[in-house]
Amino acid sequence: MNVTREDAVQSLAQVEEVTMKTKQALASAYAGPFLILWGFIWIVAYLGTQYFPVWANAIWGILSLFGAVGTVFISKRRYSQGPARKSHSARQFMLRTVLFWPLVFVYACVWLNIVKPNNGLEVNAFLVTVIMFAYVVMGLWFDSWIMTALGLVVTAFTLVGFFLVPPANYCLWMAVTAGGSLLGTGLFMKLWWR
Amino acid sequence: MAELDNTIHQPVRLQIMSSLVALDAGEEIEFVYLRNLLELTDGNLGAHLAKLEEAGYVKVKKTFVARKPRTFITATGKGRDAFEEHIVALRQIIGGSQK
Repeated sequence: MNVTREDAVQSLAQVEEVTMKTKQALASAYAGPFLILWGFIWIVAYLGTQYFPVWANAIWGILSLFGAVGTVFISKRRYSQGPARKSHSARQFMLRTVLFWPLVFVYACVWLNIVKPNNGLEVNAFLVTVIMFAYVVMGLWFDSWIMTALGLVVTAFTLVGFFLVPPANYCLWMAVTAGGSLLGTGLFMKLWWR
Repeated sequence: MAELDNTIHQPVRLQIMSSLVALDAGEEIEFVYLRNLLELTDGNLGAHLAKLEEAGYVKVKKTFVARKPRTFITATGKGRDAFEEHIVALRQIIGGSQK
C-alpha cells in the first residue's frame, strides 16, 4: 500500500478526532443527565434554604429524595437503552461503582457523627466536600479529567464560601457556584459533546 | 517494522475502528448511535462493518432490548491489535514515535 507522509498525518488526525468525539459523546450520554439533575437540585435547594431557612431540612430532604429517584431512573434507562453496553467483567466493574455512592453516603454519616459539626453551614460544607472528593476519586478511577476538575473546582468554591463569604450569603454563593458548576458542566456536555 | 492494514486504512473503516477502540475492551456500541456519531448512512456503515466483520476485526450482535431490535458492535481482540499496528505503521511513516 502506498501511503504518503501527508496521508499518514491526515489519518492519524482523523483517528485522534474520532477517538475524542466518541469518548466525549459517551461521557455526555452517561454523566450529562446526572450532572444536570443534581445541579438543578442543588440550585433549587440552596436558593430555598437562602430564602426560606425554616424549611431548609424539608427542602433538602424532599429534593434529595427526588434526586435519588431520578438517579435510579436515569441509571436504569441508560443501562437498558444507552448507546453502549458493557461486557460481563465491565458490568461487574459498573456494579462496584454503583455501590460506591451508598458507601460514600454511609461514611459521610459516620464521619458526621464523629466530627459533630456545630451548625448547618458546617454540615453542608462537610457534605459537599465529601461528595466532591468522591467526584475526584471517580474522575481518577475512570480517567475522566472533567469529573476530577469539577470535583476540585466545586471544592474550591465551597472553601471560599465557607471561609470568606458571609454566612448570610453562603447558600446564595453555593447555589450559583456549586449548583451552577454541576448544571453548567452537564449542559456543556449535552450541547457540545453530543 | 509495523505494517499498514488495507482493511483498516479505508477512511470510513478507520473512523469506525477508531470509535470502537476508544471504548473499553468488550464494550459494545449501538449501531444507530455509531451511525449518528460518525455521520454515516445505514447502508454505508453496514457495508463497512461487513468488511471489518469478515476480517474478524469487529463482532456484530443483533439483540432485542425492551422488545425492540438493536444491533451492537464491538472491536475484537484481533481488531484492536490490527488497529494498534496500523497506527504504529502510520507513525513510522511520519517518522514519529511508535506509541
